[in-house]
Amino acid sequence: MTSTDEELVARSKGGDADSFNQLILRWERPIYALAYRVIGREEDARDVCQETFLRAFRALPGFKGEAKFSSWVYRIALNLCRDWMRRQRRAPTMQMPEGVDPIEMAGEHGPVESIETLVERRELSGVVEEAMKLLPEEQRTAIILKEYHGMTFQEIADLQGCPLSTVKTRLYQGLSVLRRHLEKNGRMAPQLVKRV
Amino acid sequence: MTETFQCGDNAALVGYMYGECEPAERRAMDQHLLVCPACAAEIEALGATRIQLAAWTPPEAQLGFRMVSDSAPSDIRRLAPSVVERPPRWWALSAIPAWAQAAAAAAIFAAGLSLGVWRGTAPAGPALTGTAPTGTAPTGTTAAGTVPAATVAAAPATTSANVASASDLTALEQRLRSEMASELALLRTSAASPAASQTASATEAQIMSRVRALIDESEQRQQRVLALRTAQVVRDFDSQRRVDLQNVRSIVGQMEGTTGAEIARQQQTLQYLMRVSQEK
Repeated sequence: MTSTDEELVARSKGGDADSFNQLILRWERPIYALAYRVIGREEDARDVCQETFLRAFRALPGFKGEAKFSSWVYRIALNLCRDWMRRQRRAPTMQMPEGVDPIEMAGEHGPVESIETLVERRELSGVVEEAMKLLPEEQRTAIILKEYHGMTFQEIADLQGCPLSTVKTRLYQGLSVLRRHLEKNGRMAPQLVKRV
Repeated sequence: MTETFQCGDNAALVGYMYGECEPAERRAMDQHLLVCPACAAEIEALGATRIQLAAWTPPEAQLGFRMVSDSAPSDIRRLAPSVVERPPRWWALSAIPAWAQAAAAAAIFAAGLSLGVWRGTAPAGPALTGTAPTGTAPTGTTAAGTVPAATVAAAPATTSANVASASDLTALEQRLRSEMASELALLRTSAASPAASQTASATEAQIMSRVRALIDESEQRQQRVLALRTAQVVRDFDSQRRVDLQNVRSIVGQMEGTTGAEIARQQQTLQYLMRVSQEK
């Protein structure tokens, strides 16, 4: 039977490293994805992910369970991302991952996805990354939390420490900028508006 | 906003789009969208933008972090900072034992020193490389030859502890300093006496011949690998060509069969028509 996050947290507090490893296994990919999308660098996202769980483990005795474990870890990760960006003292650069070869990826994906579809998806992914670079950090984070992590407005407001109406405004403004950028790059034609 | 919706209320628009609004708000928005093409178009465009966002996926990363401490979180401060272990990387230097790193560093240093001595005593570049005798295997008895041997010998001493202690490193440093001093002394002597110069030249020649032999071996190995890969590519290409030819033949055969049947059918029809026309 799969243990809940709360059960794993309780056991981790008692010194059961395996339980905490299960929590890591459960949440490392979402945390890595969040960090990558916010700061835009693969290796730094891995560092943030690692540091997030280290801090979470150290702070576990102080975790009272008032919020969900996932929300708590997300908050740690976002703070680390913010620290990282502050250190960088410049807008994060969203770079294409090194060594990504569409042909090679086509081989990995097998016959399910054609090379054309794959290349198109990679191109679109790059355009979206570029568009996200244009957004201020708050708007970008709000969109990432909403679109890729399925959080509610209230959860985003709690994480960002702002009113709920501000979250909605950030989402609207961010999406409008993205829309204009995608239109400018010819990415809003009807035939391209399909879920890939 | 509960009963009506005003154009320009972007927060309400976003709430509607994400399905996070009260039922009364939703009803009001539904009614408004029926009569306001601008807001309907706005919702549609933002929805299309959201669909595009789904294409952005982070690169696959090898994660697999895990805690390496069995202590309770409250005891974690007493432990080393790196308690969340990353998956290992092939190039990670930390995987190499300390004694091995020290030995490698010493060997590189000694090799550099030997090279420096050789360069310092060489008469001229082309003359040295052109006249160096070959076939004289290094005996390890010359002064220069003892440098790597002495350096490598330091490794087993540290192997027993499996970790290079401070005293080991100090001893190694002293050893290297004394060897460096002896090398410098040799250099000075060789510059002064012709006999010593001859010895140094012989050592240089041995090093050169060894380097040449290593280069030759490497080139031969590369050539073998290249030949192997070329043969493999040719074989793959040939087999692919055969498969393609077979496919082409099969397709052509099918087409010929279809065409032949079609012609036969047409001929039959033509004959029938001619027969019928002649009967009339």
